[in-house]
Amino acid sequence: MTPTLISERAPAVAAPPADPRRRPRLADLGTPLLYAASLSTALVLAGLLIALVGQSPWDAASAMYDGSLADGAAIGQSIDQAAPLLLVAIGSVIAARAGIFNIGQEGQLLVGASVGAAIALFTPGPGPLVLILALLGAAVGGALWAAIAALLFYWRGVAVVISTLLLIFVANQAVSYAVNSPSLLREKAVAGQVTTSQTDMLAESVWLPRIGEYPDFNIGAGIFIALVLAVGTSVVLVRSRLGFRVRMLGLNPKAAHRAGVGAVLIGGGALLASGAFAGLAGGVMLTGSGHRMQDGFADNVGFDGLLVALVARDKPMLAVPVALFFGALRAGGGFLSATGVPRYIVAVVTALLVLATVFPAAYAEVRRRRTAGA
Amino acid sequence: MRPSPQASDTAVTTPDPRPRAGDDQPTAPSVLSAPIVQLLGIGKRFGAVRACEDVSLRVQAGEIHGLLGENGAGKSTLMKILLGLVVPDTGRILLRGEPATITDPSAAAAHGISMVHQHFSLVDRLSVWENVVLGDRGRVDRDRARTLVREVGRRYGLEVDPDACVEDLSTGQRQRVEIVKCLRRDPGVLILDEPTSVLTLEESRELFTVLRRVVADEGKAVILISHKLDEIVHATDRVTIMRQGRVVARRATADTDVRSLAREMVGRELSKWTAASAVGALDALIEPGTGEPTGGTALLDVREPAAAPAPDPRPPAGEVRLRISDAHASTTDRRPLLRGLTLEVRAGEILGLAGVEGNGQAALGDLLSSLLPLSAGRVEVCGAPVVAGRPGAMHAAGVGIVPEDRHVSGCVLDMSVAENLVLADLSSVTSKGLLSRRRMAARARQLIEEFEIATPSPDTPMRQLSGGNQQKVVLARELAAQPKVLVAAQPTRGLDIGAIEYMTERLHAAARSGIAVLLLSTELGEILTLSHRVAVIHRGAVVGEMDRADVDTERLGLLMGGQAA
Ligand SMILES: Nc1ncnc2c1ncn2[C@@H]1O[C@H](COP(=O)(O)OP(=O)(O)OP(=O)(O)O)[C@@H](O)[C@H]1O
Ligand SMILES: [Mg+2]
Repeated sequence: MTPTLISERAPAVAAPPADPRRRPRLADLGTPLLYAASLSTALVLAGLLIALVGQSPWDAASAMYDGSLADGAAIGQSIDQAAPLLLVAIGSVIAARAGIFNIGQEGQLLVGASVGAAIALFTPGPGPLVLILALLGAAVGGALWAAIAALLFYWRGVAVVISTLLLIFVANQAVSYAVNSPSLLREKAVAGQVTTSQTDMLAESVWLPRIGEYPDFNIGAGIFIALVLAVGTSVVLVRSRLGFRVRMLGLNPKAAHRAGVGAVLIGGGALLASGAFAGLAGGVMLTGSGHRMQDGFADNVGFDGLLVALVARDKPMLAVPVALFFGALRAGGGFLSATGVPRYIVAVVTALLVLATVFPAAYAEVRRRRTAGA
Repeated sequence: MRPSPQASDTAVTTPDPRPRAGDDQPTAPSVLSAPIVQLLGIGKRFGAVRACEDVSLRVQAGEIHGLLGENGAGKSTLMKILLGLVVPDTGRILLRGEPATITDPSAAAAHGISMVHQHFSLVDRLSVWENVVLGDRGRVDRDRARTLVREVGRRYGLEVDPDACVEDLSTGQRQRVEIVKCLRRDPGVLILDEPTSVLTLEESRELFTVLRRVVADEGKAVILISHKLDEIVHATDRVTIMRQGRVVARRATADTDVRSLAREMVGRELSKWTAASAVGALDALIEPGTGEPTGGTALLDVREPAAAPAPDPRPPAGEVRLRISDAHASTTDRRPLLRGLTLEVRAGEILGLAGVEGNGQAALGDLLSSLLPLSAGRVEVCGAPVVAGRPGAMHAAGVGIVPEDRHVSGCVLDMSVAENLVLADLSSVTSKGLLSRRRMAARARQLIEEFEIATPSPDTPMRQLSGGNQQKVVLARELAAQPKVLVAAQPTRGLDIGAIEYMTERLHAAARSGIAVLLLSTELGEILTLSHRVAVIHRGAVVGEMDRADVDTERLGLLMGGQAA
């Protein structure tokens, strides 16, 4: 034995360049099985939780079903919930494909919705025109909020993950201030009524049109906007020159730079686009369902949309069914809390189900990164 | 025995090719007949591609075993199977006669098998010693790790500063780190997948001189994959030759020579000049056309150079296509990269830029890839100034480049071969902002055929191609684009000798068609084979220039060493 070379126990080998065909052991289960396993784990845990607070898991399950799938109205609810999720997800996909991790959709959505609310409330004109302006304004608002992160990154090198996340808190405060200031968005006092911290209700003429008949199946136009944009984004990413450049930037920034893809222009553009989609999602929520801004308006749609993109592995078309599933979860969860299960338990239950769907994808991603080597 | 530091020091001074025939190494006493590694009937398919088919390989303890074959022959795949990175479809592995199942690299490591991969797997932001101990379990002992890096480096002639950040290292130094990382584990079986494509001749000589002794004395084994045939001839005891996933020949190195190895590998004869550059035999190149090559180059009379492409008579000087004047640039932490580099390349000529690795070649490549801004000086293409560092500026001005490390800026591994064959030239396959799949596929198919790129289809991800075929994709794209200036940095890195021959012809054809070609290479042989004019780069500046006809190696050597001559 030579003195120069240590011979210890077998040293672990550093992440070797992997063969994509090599599967890790847990994943040998196969993807469908992995999904089944993680979903049933989540269901069991959720059932236990509900039983713990003294409710019947079966009743809860049927409430979830009633709220999301049982009849036309419930299905419409699920679809309505899916629309903003899908919009947020498409935006996240665009940024991720360009190699940028925007996780501040929640804030961009809020800011977008507030801009949309301001336009919808204070712009005179024919309803449809104001509606369109409000939606566009929402998109611009979201984009501008993301632009702050873009600026910080390309000018000062602040990581996008951090700045977008922190900007959520700033957005929360700013929007909360706006809806609390009578000079800004707070609802106008009517004699004899106390005002609360919310905006006025939008005029009915600027609501997103609905299709179908209440109380049967009816859905807002938001989902159509989202679907059209999902298809468009997919085509642009896969088929267009611009999409090619975005993907190239995400996959190899140096090769992209040489080929003339400016990181600031294309990368910054992708970040702004993802902000615009989040803002638009806020606009759709505002004009499509709530019709007014109030505290807690965003309701985690930004984060859930991010998860939709994660589960859909950054594929816009795959995001459609995933968004519908998440929408159904949210609709079912809303119904469940109406049946007397405490809200926080509903939140935990939906979170568990979301986790269960995210887990297989996240697990595969982690494995891929770990084995892909440097 | 324990090779002392002195022993390896002497090795430095005598890198002579061992005269050997019959003086076969006595195998270490403990392992008499059972081969240390035995692969039996290994088969592996990737979809429709048969990477390995019924491959058997025997490696005895105490030998250096060469594995030869064209690009895409299945060499890397076979070794990844031995390392547990690829699961074979059929076949068995025996280690010292015992059947073994190797499911992952840590199992291989437990068996003492270790591999230096064809492509780097270092973490740029970490220091050398951190990279070396990366993946170890337990406590990290910094001082011990640094001492270890130094000691292994000294012993094998691969010295590298343990505290340097990998980001700042030249390609050759990175390669040293990769090898040190492997060697320090003191593996019983060491697999080297084209480890020397970026090492200098001296470095690789020294490495193999030491390895040879260690291997023989300690009953270890080395499997060496290389496209440099002279290295194979000098370093190995036996060779196994693969073609299209099958073993086509097994030879004792002593009974063979470069010429027959080349023939068996490619299945045809090669031109003299190709062979010369492939084996890096300088003498044959220094005086072209003056009768018999001298000394040890007798093995080169492969085919009379009737069709030998090189060196063309110096073409009539065209207009200056690329002019770099007094270029200065430094890294972000202010280490100078270029110090007043001045250079002119004319239409229709090949200017070879010779120099020792790490003297600014990488920076020059980056500059011409728009990846490096200048702090002073200017770049002109066809007389018009180009802003250095602005995205796409060089490409837009008509500078094509085959970069030194194809994975860094030469290709996008997670895009398809067809997409990689366009990359920057999207305009030819776009209309109204939409890409035409059809035109992209047609173009890809044409280039794949023209450059003999081995790929199952144009839609295969680049990542799945063999190393040499990835290089061909980059070359094909850049040559086909008909740029005004073509920069080729180590263009033949990783290519088999057949492909080198083709590339040589293509580069000449490019020059003939009026392209100004700048060739960056650390291999003098390559420079001399290809260039019309030779310039020398040293410490970030061009220190001398001469016509190909006036080259004398002594002066070149002095210039490369930094002595004005
Ligand atoms: N992960 C993979 N998926 C699909 N095909 C693969 C994969 N890895 C290798 N191949 C194919 O297997 C064949 C053999 O590849 P391999 O890397 O073993 O060649 P090689 O002999 O090392 O060539 P080179 O000298 O160019 O490095 C090639 O045709 C390659 O495209
Ligand atoms: Mg290989």
